[in-house]
Amino acid sequence: MKHKQLPNEYYELLEELQATDFVLLELTLYLDTHPNDIDAIKQFNEFAKLRKQLRKRYEKDYGPLLQYGLSYSSYPWNWNDTPWPWQV
Amino acid sequence: MYTNRKYYEPYISPFDPCKPIRVKSYSTPPNLYLGFQPPGLEQFSPREALAAGTLWKVFYDPYEKNKEG
Repeated sequence: MKHKQLPNEYYELLEELQATDFVLLELTLYLDTHPNDIDAIKQFNEFAKLRKQLRKRYEKDYGPLLQYGLSYSSYPWNWNDTPWPWQV
Repeated sequence: MYTNRKYYEPYISPFDPCKPIRVKSYSTPPNLYLGFQPPGLEQFSPREALAAGTLWKVFYDPYEKNKEG
């Protein structure tokens, strides 16, 4: 059974999502110790908004990122289709 | 020139069979030289940050191999 090869855009989008997540992680750790840094908070919210958009784009084309209602499901129910994250 | 690499001279025993290493060095992380992180430090772009492992350029420490050996 020929597997559907993922397009290049998939990897582009995934990397962008990973980079955004990393920036959010770093800013979260930074803000834990710098609660009054308004610029960092603005940047955090900016990236949080960007992350939401990226997630919507990703899930529209490639299925849910999270489960248990945290992501919408496409039709048919396909969260367990290949490729799995480590196969990508 | 200021560097994170520090040097020390180990004791060399007269019974040491191998060629003695007179000066040894170790690299120290940048956060040692920066107390409480000030706001507004220069940052990497998201993709660079993901590859560098830190968002702020000052903390980038690739643990370079010691050139002089």
